[in-house]
Amino acid sequence: MSLFKSSEEKQDAGSLISKEERNMLENEEPFDCASLGPESDYQEINHYDFHVVYSASYKVPVLYFRAYHCDGQPLLLSEIEKGLPGLSVKLLSESKWTFITQEEHPYLNRPWYKLHPCGTCEWMKLLFSTHKSLTTNGSTIEHYLISWFSVVGQVFGLKIPLEMLNCS
Amino acid sequence: MAEHTQKGPLLQFAPMQSLVDEGFWHRLSSLKLNKLGIDDSPIPINGFYAPCSHSQISNHLTLLAESLPSESNESLLAPDTSRGNRNKCSVPGILYNTNTVESFHALDKQNLLKAEASKIWEDIQTGNAVEDPAILSRFLLISFADLKKWTFHYWFAFPALMLDPPVTVNYLKPASQWLSKEEVESLSAACNEWRNSRLTADVPFFFITIDANSCATIKHLKDWETCQSDAYKTLFGFYDPCHLPNNPGWPLRNFLTLLSAKWNLKRVQFLCYRENRGFADMDLSLVGEALITDSQGEGDGVPNVVGWELNKGRKIPRRISLSQSLDPTRLAISAADLNLKLMRWRALPSLNLSTLSSVKCLLVGAGTLGCQVARMLMAWGVRKITLLDNGRVAMSNPLRQSLYTLDDSLNGGEFKATAAVRSLQKIFPAVEAEGVVMAIPMPGHPVPSQEEESVLDDCRRLSDLIDAHDAVFLLTDTRESRWLPSLLCANTNKITITAALGFDSFLVMRHGAGPFSQASNLSTETVTSVCDDMHKLNVNDATGKERLGCYFCSDVVAPTDSTSNRTLDQQCTVTRPGLAPIASSLAVELLVGILHHPQGIYAEGEINLSVSDTTEQPLGILPHQIRGSLSQFSQMTLIGHSSSSCTACCQTVVSEYRNKGMEFILQAINHPTFLEDLTGLTELMKSASSFSMDWDEDVDDEDDDDCVEI
Repeated sequence: MSLFKSSEEKQDAGSLISKEERNMLENEEPFDCASLGPESDYQEINHYDFHVVYSASYKVPVLYFRAYHCDGQPLLLSEIEKGLPGLSVKLLSESKWTFITQEEHPYLNRPWYKLHPCGTCEWMKLLFSTHKSLTTNGSTIEHYLISWFSVVGQVFGLKIPLEMLNCS
Repeated sequence: MAEHTQKGPLLQFAPMQSLVDEGFWHRLSSLKLNKLGIDDSPIPINGFYAPCSHSQISNHLTLLAESLPSESNESLLAPDTSRGNRNKCSVPGILYNTNTVESFHALDKQNLLKAEASKIWEDIQTGNAVEDPAILSRFLLISFADLKKWTFHYWFAFPALMLDPPVTVNYLKPASQWLSKEEVESLSAACNEWRNSRLTADVPFFFITIDANSCATIKHLKDWETCQSDAYKTLFGFYDPCHLPNNPGWPLRNFLTLLSAKWNLKRVQFLCYRENRGFADMDLSLVGEALITDSQGEGDGVPNVVGWELNKGRKIPRRISLSQSLDPTRLAISAADLNLKLMRWRALPSLNLSTLSSVKCLLVGAGTLGCQVARMLMAWGVRKITLLDNGRVAMSNPLRQSLYTLDDSLNGGEFKATAAVRSLQKIFPAVEAEGVVMAIPMPGHPVPSQEEESVLDDCRRLSDLIDAHDAVFLLTDTRESRWLPSLLCANTNKITITAALGFDSFLVMRHGAGPFSQASNLSTETVTSVCDDMHKLNVNDATGKERLGCYFCSDVVAPTDSTSNRTLDQQCTVTRPGLAPIASSLAVELLVGILHHPQGIYAEGEINLSVSDTTEQPLGILPHQIRGSLSQFSQMTLIGHSSSSCTACCQTVVSEYRNKGMEFILQAINHPTFLEDLTGLTELMKSASSFSMDWDEDVDDEDDDDCVEI
C-alpha cells in the first residue's frame, strides 16, 4: 500500500545535504531530452506493508506492519500514526483491544510493528456470538479472516469491499 | 535526406524508480562485518521488478535481502536466483560499496555508468540480450554504508543507451483503443497465461503476433528471427513499471536500441504491458509506434548513456538512517519501552513511565541488595542509577550478587561500583549508570586526625550525591553505615528506602519526610507557614501529620561500631540466599509505589488488611515498613512514627547538622555518646534503668507500631 505525501514535508532533508554531495554530475552527463522531466513524474510516496501472520501461541492471526518512505527511510510509529485517518487515531488511543508493539517479524527477522493479539480471541468471540447463522452454516472459517480484518483494518482506515463479504 | 514520414513528437520515457528494502541494507551490513571487511570490489546483485499494478502508482526496481549473495556463498559469485516468480522479474546489477564517504563521492560515476552501458551494448551485439532479455535492464548501484551510525548513502543508475537522433512517437494510446474487442480479449488471455506460467512469468520482454482471427500469441524474443511474421499485427511487448497514461517506462529505451541495432527495425509497434490486481489491463496498458532514425548498428562504438536516478528532482545521491531498526541499542530501548507500555495498557493505565525514566536513584551499597535493586529498577524503566561502594568483588560474591561474574573477582577483584556499572550496561546499553568508589563515614568508627580531611571530603561528596538524586536506597551491611545517609536524606527530604537483612528475616521500609520538609511539595493539604513555625515541627511534618519514622527512629541506642567486638559468625553477614532478592524486589516496588502516590514521600503508611478493597491506589497499598520472615514464609506491614529522639532524623539532630555542618558529623563519628547525649537518649536510658524494667532487646516497641500478620 502506498500513500502520497506532500512534498513540503520532506524539504528540510534537502538542506542537510552537504556540499560534497553536490555532484559534478550536472556537467558530465549528456543532456537527455528523452527522459521525462522530474516535475511530472515526481511522487513522494510512503509505502505501507501489511502481513497477516498466524501466531501459534495466541492461536489467532496477527497483523504485522511497517512503513517507509520511497527512499527507504523507515517511518517511526509516531510518523505512521500521523498518516492514519483521524478516526483511526482515536480508535488506537481509546480502544482496549488495540495496542502496537515492535517485534521481530517471525519470517523476515527484521523489526516490524504489530497489533498486539492478546485481545483478538475475546473480540472475535464477541463478533461471532452475534452471528449465529455463521456458525450453523459451517462457513465460519471462510468468514473468520474477513471478519477479523474488518476490525483490525479499521485501525489503518482499511476497508473491505462489500463484494468480499458476499462471496461464499 | 527527405523525410518520408512526418516526424511525431519525441518519445519521453518515465525514469525507473528504485526502492530498497531495509533487509538489503541489513544483509549488506552483515556481509561487510562478517565477510568482506574492507574489500570493496564490486558485488553482483539482483534487482526485481514487475509490471505496473496500479493506475496511480508506478512500480519500482526493488532490492531485497536476497538481492545480495548470501554469506555462505563461497566466492560471492552472483546471488542465488530463483526464477519464475511473477512479482519478481530478476534483473542483474552491480554494487560498488565504498569504505569511506569520501571515496563514495570520489567514484568516477560516468565511467562506471559507461562500463555498464558497454555490457548492455555487447549483450545486444552478441545476441545474449535476445536469449535473456532481462539483462537489457541491467543497473548500477553505488553506496557507502556507515556501520557505526547506521546511515546509508546510495545512488542508482539505470543505464539507457541513447539513440541519436532521439526516437519519436507516432501515436501512444491505451491498448483497448488500438485493438478490437476480440483482440483485447485474446491478448489479455495470452498475457495472463504468460504471467501465470513459471517458465515465462518473469520474462519481461517478448513479442506478440495477432492474426486475422484476432488470436494473439506471445513468443520469446529469440523466436523472432525464425518466425518472420506475416501476422496481421505485431507488437513488441515489455513489462512496464510505469503507470503514466502518456509515457512508456524506462525499459523500453534499451529494448528499442536492441530492435534497431540487432534487427534494423525502424518502425516499432510496442506494448507497454501493465496490470491491475494481477490481471492484464488493456486500458492501463499502452500501445504505441516508435520511429527510430538512429543510424548506429553493429560494429559501432558504445552509444552515449544516461541514467542516474534523480533524488527529489536533483542529481544527487540519497541518504537514509536505519539506526532505529539496525542499531541493537536502539532496538533494545524501544523493546523495553514497548514492554512497559504494554504493562500500562494491559494492567496499569496510571503507570507513569516518564517519572520512572527520569527518576535518579542512588544506591548506597553494591552488594547482594544493591545488585538486585539495580536490576529491578532497570526492569521498571529506571535509567539513571548510581552505585556507591568501596569494596571489591570477592570470589564468593558472584553467587549472590547478581551483577558480578567470576572474572570480576580475579586478581584481587574489580571495584564493585565500577563492575556493577559495566554489568548494567551490558544488560541494557542505554542505562545511565555511574559508579562511586567511596567509604561511608560511620559513627563509632573514630577517625585519626590525619584522615579527618579525607573523611570530611567523603561526607561532602556523599552530601552532594544525595542532593543530586531523587531517591536513595540504603543497602549496606551494617547499621552504622546507614546513619549518615539517613541524616542527609532527612535534611534534604529525599525519598529514602532502607533494606536490611538478618539471617532469615528482612526489613524493608521507607523513611518518612524530613523534619523541615517544605510545604511546596503538597497540593492537597493546607499548610502553615513553615519558616515561622519550624519550632513547632517536632514530630510533625508540614502537613501537620505525624511523620513516619526512619530506620533509626525505633532505636534506643545510637549506632556504634557493630563490627569490632562481634564473634566471627556475627561478623560475616550471612543470610539465607532467598532473602536478598525478596527484600530488594520489595524495596523497588515500594519506590514505584511512592512515585505513583499523589502525596509521595508524605503518603501515610498503610497496612495490609484482609479486606481487599481498602486500596485506592492502582498499585495497591503503600506500607511504611515490611518485615518478613523466611522461616515462616510470612510478611507483616507495620507503621512506625518518627521519634523525637531519633539519632538520624529528629529535629534536634538535623538542626545541629544544619548549624554546624561537618563539625557536627565529625563529633558524631568520633565520640561514642555524642549523639545519645544530643538527643536526650542518654537521659532516657538513665531514667529507664532507674526502674527495674524488663528491657526487651527486640526493638519493636509495641506502643507505636501497628502490625498485622499477613
